[in-house]
Amino acid sequence: MRGASRQDPFTVSASVALVALVCLWGSFASYGFETAYQRQNSDPYMISQQFVRFEPLLSTVPSAVPEDATLGYLTDASPASTTGLAMTLGAQYVLAPRLIEKGATDDRVIGNFTRPADFAALGQSYRLRLERDFGNGVVLFRKEH
Amino acid sequence: MIGLVWALEAILLGCLLVWRFSDLPAIRPAWARLLLIFGAGAAGGIGLVSYLFFFFGVLLGLPVAAMVLELALLAWAAFEVYRRQVPAVPSSGASGRPLLFRVAGGSLFLALVLAASAAWTGWDANPQGNWDAWAIWNLRARFLAAPAGLAWRAWSPVLGATTHAEYPLLLSSFIARCWAFGHSFATLVPAATGAIFFLALIALAAGTIAVLRGPTLGLLAALVLTSTPSLLHEIPAQYADVPLACYIAGAIAFALLRRPALAGIFAGFAAWTKDEGLLFLVVFLAAAAVFRRREALAAIAGALPAAAILTFFKLWLARGNGSLLSTSLPGAARRIFDMGRYGTVTAAFGRGFLDMAQGWYHPILPLIVLAAALRFDRERRREAAFSGAIGATLLLGYFGVYILTQNDLVWQLQTSLDRLLVQVWPVLVLTAFIALRMPETAMAAEPAPVQKVSRKAARKARR
Repeated sequence: MRGASRQDPFTVSASVALVALVCLWGSFASYGFETAYQRQNSDPYMISQQFVRFEPLLSTVPSAVPEDATLGYLTDASPASTTGLAMTLGAQYVLAPRLIEKGATDDRVIGNFTRPADFAALGQSYRLRLERDFGNGVVLFRKEH
Repeated sequence: MIGLVWALEAILLGCLLVWRFSDLPAIRPAWARLLLIFGAGAAGGIGLVSYLFFFFGVLLGLPVAAMVLELALLAWAAFEVYRRQVPAVPSSGASGRPLLFRVAGGSLFLALVLAASAAWTGWDANPQGNWDAWAIWNLRARFLAAPAGLAWRAWSPVLGATTHAEYPLLLSSFIARCWAFGHSFATLVPAATGAIFFLALIALAAGTIAVLRGPTLGLLAALVLTSTPSLLHEIPAQYADVPLACYIAGAIAFALLRRPALAGIFAGFAAWTKDEGLLFLVVFLAAAAVFRRREALAAIAGALPAAAILTFFKLWLARGNGSLLSTSLPGAARRIFDMGRYGTVTAAFGRGFLDMAQGWYHPILPLIVLAAALRFDRERRREAAFSGAIGATLLLGYFGVYILTQNDLVWQLQTSLDRLLVQVWPVLVLTAFIALRMPETAMAAEPAPVQKVSRKAARKARR
């Protein structure tokens, strides 16, 4: 630490003004970067889109997916991939407070797929019956008893 | 929209309680007093209602009880403020504002407008926030806002390791409270919460430095923080890092202002916000015991409610979920003696610090200019050492966690280090500004008046 020697008033004033200017420059630079960055990275994991995809499931058959349900979960996306993880967590976010549990052991199982397929046949391989296809890769299976 | 009204109610409740039950209203100058009351009230109010909602709404399944209690507290605090109005502290008699103050104030205003515009672009592009917002913080808020009996799912092991069900719940509980009371999962609530914490952080920094080091430095400290690119980047993310940065800075600020109970309360809030906050709480109390022995007990008392709730949550409710540290214990010895990891983490810290820049602007630049022009105040060594020791120990703690973690080290560094630096950066700014000489005293012989009223005088004024 230095001693308390007197500084030239002009130097002090100029340095405060310089700091204000430098900070403002930084603010402008941040503003420019943030606006460009956010426009380029608008909802990269399509979370808002998940609300649209799952809305038919929640609105047309609410009794099949009550809030206290624990639902199985099947997907064709690799679970370790970013896409697979984002789809699973995105579905969980939209469906909460319902819990989703990976696999087909629960009575009701949500299918969350990236592309069209023969979902009925896929369900049968897990001993599941296709209850309803809501489009956009979202389906509801039931356990066959 | 109603959820936002409940967020504002929390701020109002906090401000009224701080106004009535702390001696901050006796602080001068008036604008610094208002900033401190807003900063303490906003962050403190959010923390308080988060506790209430977690206890009554989540644990007891009685969210209406939390709401009624809050409203009763609000009415009582408002009545108390009205009944025992604190007499206005006479002004220092200075006529007008010096030019330097006006330059700093005008720049801060412009920087805040730019920050708000940048944050708005982020909210518009990503209304659900970034990954951790919808995968951790807001996801758990959706569970906590659920009808009674389902809220426990916020820490269910079924959610998996990626949702970190063991993380503390201050932020999620607050968002859940606004959603539950407002009967809507409005994206505006978590977005606004990030902005409120950012503004509270700026207000606390400006108010504290203005009181301790003069108005011009107070505004400049706020300006440096407002123009920190990496801090601005975190506002629209809707993560818990800006709230944690606010609580950490608030705890240190109130310790510097000799308000140890408030400091302890804020340190407790930090621990209930994020796991890093728990490390901060330990470091903070240890630093208080070393540097401010007489005030340490009051700080511990302030932190007790959070420590109790956190202990109950970690050891009882979320005990099935392993924390980053506990899952890192197997094989820890091998990693500790792996010298390559030290090199990797050191290099990442260096890069992370440099990456706080935007273009050629790095937030350390204004601090270097001020240090060169104003130099340091010998009288402030102890305060600077207190604040600096906490910041340095936190960084050291983070460094140690990176060495220990069993997660892929490069991935862990890439996905978290920038946010950890954002948590500690305000501490470093506070430390630097505490140590600087005031511009007014650097260029004139006459020192600026001490702008703080003692507790005794404040109590006397209230009577």
